[in-house]
Amino acid sequence: MAMIKVENLVKTYQVIQKESGLFGYFKNLVKPKYKEFDAVKGINFSIEEGELVGYIGENGAGKSTTIKMLTGLLTPTSGEVIVNNLKPYKSRIENNKNIGAVFGQKTQLWWDLPVIESFRLIKKMYKIPEGEYRKNLKKFTEILELDELLEKQVKNLSLGQKMRCEIAAAFLHNPKIVYLDEPTIGLDVFVKENIRKFIKEINKEKNVTVILTTHDLKDIEDVCDRIILLDKGQIIYDGSKQKFKDTYGKYVIAEFTVKDKNLNINDNIRIDEIEILEETENQLKLKFKHEETTIVKVMEQISNYCKIEDIHMKEAELEDILKEIYKGAHKC
Amino acid sequence: MLKTMLALAKMQFNQYNIYKSNFYLWTLNRIIEVIVYIFVWQAIYNQTGDAGGFTINQLVTYYILTVSIRPIALFSINSDIAYSIRNGKINKELLNPISYFQYCFGVNLGEMAFALVIGIATFVICSVFWTIILPANLTSFILFLIVIMLGIPLTFFIEVIVGTVGFYSSSIWGMEILKDAIISIFSGIIAPIALFPMWFQKIANILPFKDLIYTPINIWLGQVPTNEIIFVILKQLIWTIILYVIAKIFFNYSIKKITINGG
Ligand SMILES: Nc1ncnc2c1ncn2[C@@H]1O[C@H](COP(=O)(O)OP(=O)(O)OP(=O)(O)O)[C@@H](O)[C@H]1O
Ligand SMILES: [Mg+2]
Repeated sequence: MAMIKVENLVKTYQVIQKESGLFGYFKNLVKPKYKEFDAVKGINFSIEEGELVGYIGENGAGKSTTIKMLTGLLTPTSGEVIVNNLKPYKSRIENNKNIGAVFGQKTQLWWDLPVIESFRLIKKMYKIPEGEYRKNLKKFTEILELDELLEKQVKNLSLGQKMRCEIAAAFLHNPKIVYLDEPTIGLDVFVKENIRKFIKEINKEKNVTVILTTHDLKDIEDVCDRIILLDKGQIIYDGSKQKFKDTYGKYVIAEFTVKDKNLNINDNIRIDEIEILEETENQLKLKFKHEETTIVKVMEQISNYCKIEDIHMKEAELEDILKEIYKGAHKC
Repeated sequence: MLKTMLALAKMQFNQYNIYKSNFYLWTLNRIIEVIVYIFVWQAIYNQTGDAGGFTINQLVTYYILTVSIRPIALFSINSDIAYSIRNGKINKELLNPISYFQYCFGVNLGEMAFALVIGIATFVICSVFWTIILPANLTSFILFLIVIMLGIPLTFFIEVIVGTVGFYSSSIWGMEILKDAIISIFSGIIAPIALFPMWFQKIANILPFKDLIYTPINIWLGQVPTNEIIFVILKQLIWTIILYVIAKIFFNYSIKKITINGG
């Protein structure tokens, strides 16, 4: 039985059409004109218990809209969402007992009070047994380094400190599922790593299902096994991270440092297998597929036009692949 | 559920209590109000030798009590609700394992508790400077407390109704002022209802506000016969149910609306 099941899920927002002029203003007051906007256009997926899913896509792709439907904050326009055998939009409070959520920078901690007080309230609200609460608190404090934060007032915490507390709060009651909507936004590398480590460890220990949206693909690279890629309200990829890389990313990016360039290479080189991404006086960044050519051949070609001083090669990372996909998606 | 609400109340209480200056300033504020009211009435009394059948002592007691228990009628979480709706904080609050209604009620109890502490402080300090008429007997004091307590859910539902307007308008400031004005006049905060013309008193008798402030104080002063108090309590209960139903329907309808159309 899947933990989360989504079938033909659609969300259409009604947007009030503003009309110009005084007449339009009054017309709007009496009988507002609505325009429909499809934010999520009939998506399907199913997620098993314990999966770590990266839910990615460009700004406005519909990620938060989906998460809101999964948590019952939004009612689907059509289609079905079933989370742990419940329909969240019908039994939201029942569903709330099984889930934890972090939404970007909106805090659920009590602003003027020490962090620990908010944790204690969570303990009472979710009826977490004393022993379990202590065990979790100890563990979370250790991984997320909360020691010195717990007694501080929330309003005095830095963004990163607050987010660490926020994440701890979302996992405190041993939820079955945790939704993290851009939990790493605006954080420094160390805090990000800290949070990733936490998610991985708790997932391993408690088999909690995690759905993570982020624009930092290192989060996905590091934490998730599975990727769901959303584009303008539609899923364009759903599968393992490895397969994603294999399917879309079978290419190598090579960066050359060159000297004595006699010609503009971009305008002259005509090899189908090589795509030049960037070119400056002494830098050259290009991309080619493993299967079609080799680095030796590429170097042969280029050395006709310049002297190669240094080469730096890397496998395509998620970020490169995504850029490609987006570019492709925008062309057609 | 009760435990959760008490925990919430404690949180809200502590949230205020963090700033000790809140406590001192508010208490001081109340005392200054009492002084102003009393001076005005003393002036009227000295000029006309009469104040609607009240003795000056009764009036002093009336205003000290009014200022002390006024939070029951006016202290508000409606702006909290509206604020929460506007900045999207409500999305997190809707994900609590208890209903938003219960959540708010818990928070509201915390506000009341804080206001009550200030009320008691105001009362005690004022009793040093003025002679306050004490309740005729223990029964009237207990009845006074009961009627006040019954006012708490009543005010809460009014608050929810006003706060929910925040779903529809980005500013509920106007609504709030209107609400405060209506309650202040009809509950007897501004002046004892008996001083108003007959037609006004008739309206005040029907509305629920009078029993938030005016009636309990009159019970304290021993001016309401015990058998009448039964009807007061009955009326309060009926109003509580009516306001509960309205608040619940309006609130749930509005929540449904945002869950259909986003925040
Ligand atoms: N309440 C709303 N009313 C109308 N349109 C909305 C509403 N909420 C979101 N939208 C629109 O729906 C689309 C999807 O928004 P959503 O917030 O789900 O995107 P997202 O994938 O989370 O983007 P981001 O990465 O920027 O957070 C956007 O075009 C947005 O403008
Ligand atoms: Mg988003």
